Amino acid sequence: MNKIARNIYTFRWLIIILVVLITAFAGYQIPNIQINSDVISNLPDEDKDARLLKEIGNKYGGNSIGMVILEAEDIFRPEILERIAQLTDTIAGISGVYSVTSLSNMMDIQTGEYGMEIGKLIDEYDLPDTQEELDHLRARVMSKDLYRGNLISADGTATVVMFTVAEDADVREVAEAVIQKTEALDIPEKVYYAGSPMMVTSISDLISADLITLIPISFIVIALVLLISFRTARGVILPLLTSAIAIIWTIGIMAISGYEMSMISNNIPIILLAVGSAYTIHVVNRINIERGTSTEKVITHALVYIFIPVLLAALTTMIGFISFIFGSYLTMIRDFGIFTALGTFLSAMLSLTLVPAIVSAMPPRAKAIERQRRRNRKSFMTEYILSPIKRLLYMHPKYTLTAWILLIILSSGGIFMIERSVNIRDYFRKGNPTRVAEDIMVSKFGGSKPVFVLFRGDMQNPEVLQTMMRTQEYMKKSPDILTTQSVVDIIADMNEALGEGRDIPSDRDKIEQLWFLLDGQEYLERFVSSDLSEGIILSKFTSPDNQSKKEFAKYMQEFILENSTETCSIEITGMPFVDVTMDKSLINSQFASLSIAIVFVVIIVGLILRSFIKGLFAIIPIVASIIILFGFMGYLGISLNIGTVLVASVALGIGIDYSIHIISHFDHTYKKGQDIYRSLRDTIMISGKAIIINVLSVSAGFLVLLFSEMVPLEYFGLLIAISMIFSGLGSLTLLPVILILAKRKNLLTKS
Amino acid sequence: MSSIRISLLVFAIIIFSGTRTVFSQDARTILEKLDQVIFAPKDKQGQVKIILMKKGQEEKVREAFMMQKGTDKKLYRYTYPESQAGIATLSLPDGVMWLYMPAFGKPKKISLLAKSQAFTGTDFSYEDMSVGSYAQEYKAELLETRENSYILELKPDAEKSNYSKLILEVDKTNYYPIHIDYYNKKGILEKEADYRYRKTGKYWNAEEVTMTDLKKDHATRILMTEVIFDQNLSDEEFTVEKLVPESK
Repeated sequence: MNKIARNIYTFRWLIIILVVLITAFAGYQIPNIQINSDVISNLPDEDKDARLLKEIGNKYGGNSIGMVILEAEDIFRPEILERIAQLTDTIAGISGVYSVTSLSNMMDIQTGEYGMEIGKLIDEYDLPDTQEELDHLRARVMSKDLYRGNLISADGTATVVMFTVAEDADVREVAEAVIQKTEALDIPEKVYYAGSPMMVTSISDLISADLITLIPISFIVIALVLLISFRTARGVILPLLTSAIAIIWTIGIMAISGYEMSMISNNIPIILLAVGSAYTIHVVNRINIERGTSTEKVITHALVYIFIPVLLAALTTMIGFISFIFGSYLTMIRDFGIFTALGTFLSAMLSLTLVPAIVSAMPPRAKAIERQRRRNRKSFMTEYILSPIKRLLYMHPKYTLTAWILLIILSSGGIFMIERSVNIRDYFRKGNPTRVAEDIMVSKFGGSKPVFVLFRGDMQNPEVLQTMMRTQEYMKKSPDILTTQSVVDIIADMNEALGEGRDIPSDRDKIEQLWFLLDGQEYLERFVSSDLSEGIILSKFTSPDNQSKKEFAKYMQEFILENSTETCSIEITGMPFVDVTMDKSLINSQFASLSIAIVFVVIIVGLILRSFIKGLFAIIPIVASIIILFGFMGYLGISLNIGTVLVASVALGIGIDYSIHIISHFDHTYKKGQDIYRSLRDTIMISGKAIIINVLSVSAGFLVLLFSEMVPLEYFGLLIAISMIFSGLGSLTLLPVILILAKRKNLLTKS
Repeated sequence: MSSIRISLLVFAIIIFSGTRTVFSQDARTILEKLDQVIFAPKDKQGQVKIILMKKGQEEKVREAFMMQKGTDKKLYRYTYPESQAGIATLSLPDGVMWLYMPAFGKPKKISLLAKSQAFTGTDFSYEDMSVGSYAQEYKAELLETRENSYILELKPDAEKSNYSKLILEVDKTNYYPIHIDYYNKKGILEKEADYRYRKTGKYWNAEEVTMTDLKKDHATRILMTEVIFDQNLSDEEFTVEKLVPESK
């Protein structure tokens, strides 16, 4: 250890230069990082529902359908129809838009005066303007599933202009152009934007906004806390500098290795700022405490003492993050775990190499050191926080323990009240345009969660098409399915227009010949594959309730089992099914990551302190704070979602450091021959102070997430701060009480 | 002084507007000559092969026997693929179209309410297919005279057109179209057509036409072979009854 410490001193300038060079290189890579806010692409391929959903979405363009919704008192008015046509034309003119479908250009087949009329629902050059024409149009539109509930709401107050993004186009650019051109039309009706391209763009904007606003705020808040705590420029600059460098390196590595910034990983910088600064605080603190004749000695001594504790603190924190790799469902959570762990490691490494290198290259003046020492002796914190804690522990250890037990019992009740949320809509704040658009989709268009039924079979085989028709009828009997669409509707319409009734012809020749008229119709690409070997039923699920989703899955499974044959195999997927798995995985993921983290932390701490019992003691304040955290979530109605599911393990990883400091300090002093109370006093007054500074800076850093535009991150910040405060309090009160009572019992047993 | 200026201005206006008129007339003349070349035969018939291509790859092939009389009577009887063999379409004046599908027995009249609709899966819209006379349906302006061709800008007269303009390249010697750029209503180049004309007997005939939808990267090639002209096809050949094969 001495050798490493001396080398760091000897090669201080080399370290500084290397860090500058790597930082410049990594920083140069950052602009290349891609933002991926598409939840669907984050679904794991191992889950068959998710895989099929992705496959269908890509093949039939469902993942690239954007929607502009117009809301008015009544859509069937000449001026509104005109605006729909205008909007349709405008969107069609945008480069990167592959196709546009709306009331104004939708193909319509009907039985006309002389035979079959193939045309459009509305003649854009001769829009209906008399009441009779409008009523006729209303009756026509409302009579068909292809339109009602899809292009127009059942109550006729909202309509959709749907567009698909071309394969090679940039989804964000297209979505932004659609919004910009739509706004430029100055449409007096209410306009909303929905669908995957719009949502992805909106989330990406929120991620960018979060990154731009939250990181500087976080910097300022942590700087203030550090300034108040250390009252030196070095105490502020060094922790922030190392964190900033660790952030640049981590994001740079993400960019180089082709990983994308997700709606979860955008908080990596803030976490690293909060967590990473702690290691430098310890190193700087230790350097400040060390006395020596030369800077070399001060640095070497400080490093020899602090190297292992900082490394182990980083290791336990990393375990908290890495535990997500094993339990998570969404790939973005795994990536988040990997890169936050990497960033934590880099922060620790930088605080152990760069910080001493900088201090040795630019040593503080003697006066400054003396001033710092005087400050350390007497402060507001020692007078008003640490001393009262110390007195409380001396005088009322049992009351303190009882208070904690009561708090834990009370919180346990809340655990059973925790709700889970996998609904993307809940990730946006109230009033957020995406959330409002989602609400409109639910209230006016029977939901926004797609359901796909895939039929593998010859799309010109009457048997296959008849099975599809039966499936549609069966689906519509479910209370959560309002409409269904497939190629069957179009074929039945044509058959009817040819005077053969609204049904699927039983003669294959007829179907093949009807296809002659359908060939080349763009919107068919949404329903059948180009080689006609498979097709889908497109539908939407209305209920956000998980139980309904499970019931629907069961209801459909029964039908599929009965009707799936060799000539026509049936599979079903969709967001409701993925939601059910995601919901289940939230619990599993929480349980898995937390238990993995606890087991590893107990083992590592046990090894460091060379006692398994101490490892268990160390975990007690953390487990207590996690129970309190879950209690809070239950009582406050904060749901378990993709953001909050991370809190417990992160809290464990960060919070364990406090316990380690308390136990090792207490042990160290006690073994030196001090009695329990003197050991405790030293521990609280020295390590306690560092813990409080750490709790304050980490909590302040995380509370900045309250300003995040994404609800899961907002709660993530709040909950981490709560658990930090409680694990800090736990290590300063509950843990010492346990140590006192354990030692007393030992003494009693011995005597 | 000011009266001199005004006189000069008036003179300039006359000169320039005069030039414009000369150009417009030229453009119109070219278009009339183009019409004469395209619609020269009284009637024609032949084999048509329609190849649909996506991203440069052949996607689907259709074959038909085609008969045409004048500019507005056209009959297609499909022969390939087998599943669509026997399907026949008959286009008559005023956008009237009849469709015969053997499996359904009786011919059905189809009203094509939308001109922008793709013509049975090809990249040609009904509007592209139904030009009766370029000179009558478009206002033309000569943009450029090249060594072997004229470049004309055509603006549709019809209010309902899906195009804002067409840029047409016409062969200078024989007055057949070489290339057409189709600009949509937003003024964006949407499609382009390339023509390969060949003289058969006394007529120039489009042996191959390729229409490319630039946005969709989709193209349709139409090849015409075994073409014969002026067989004095009677109007009876273009009746609904004739759609149904005689053996039926």
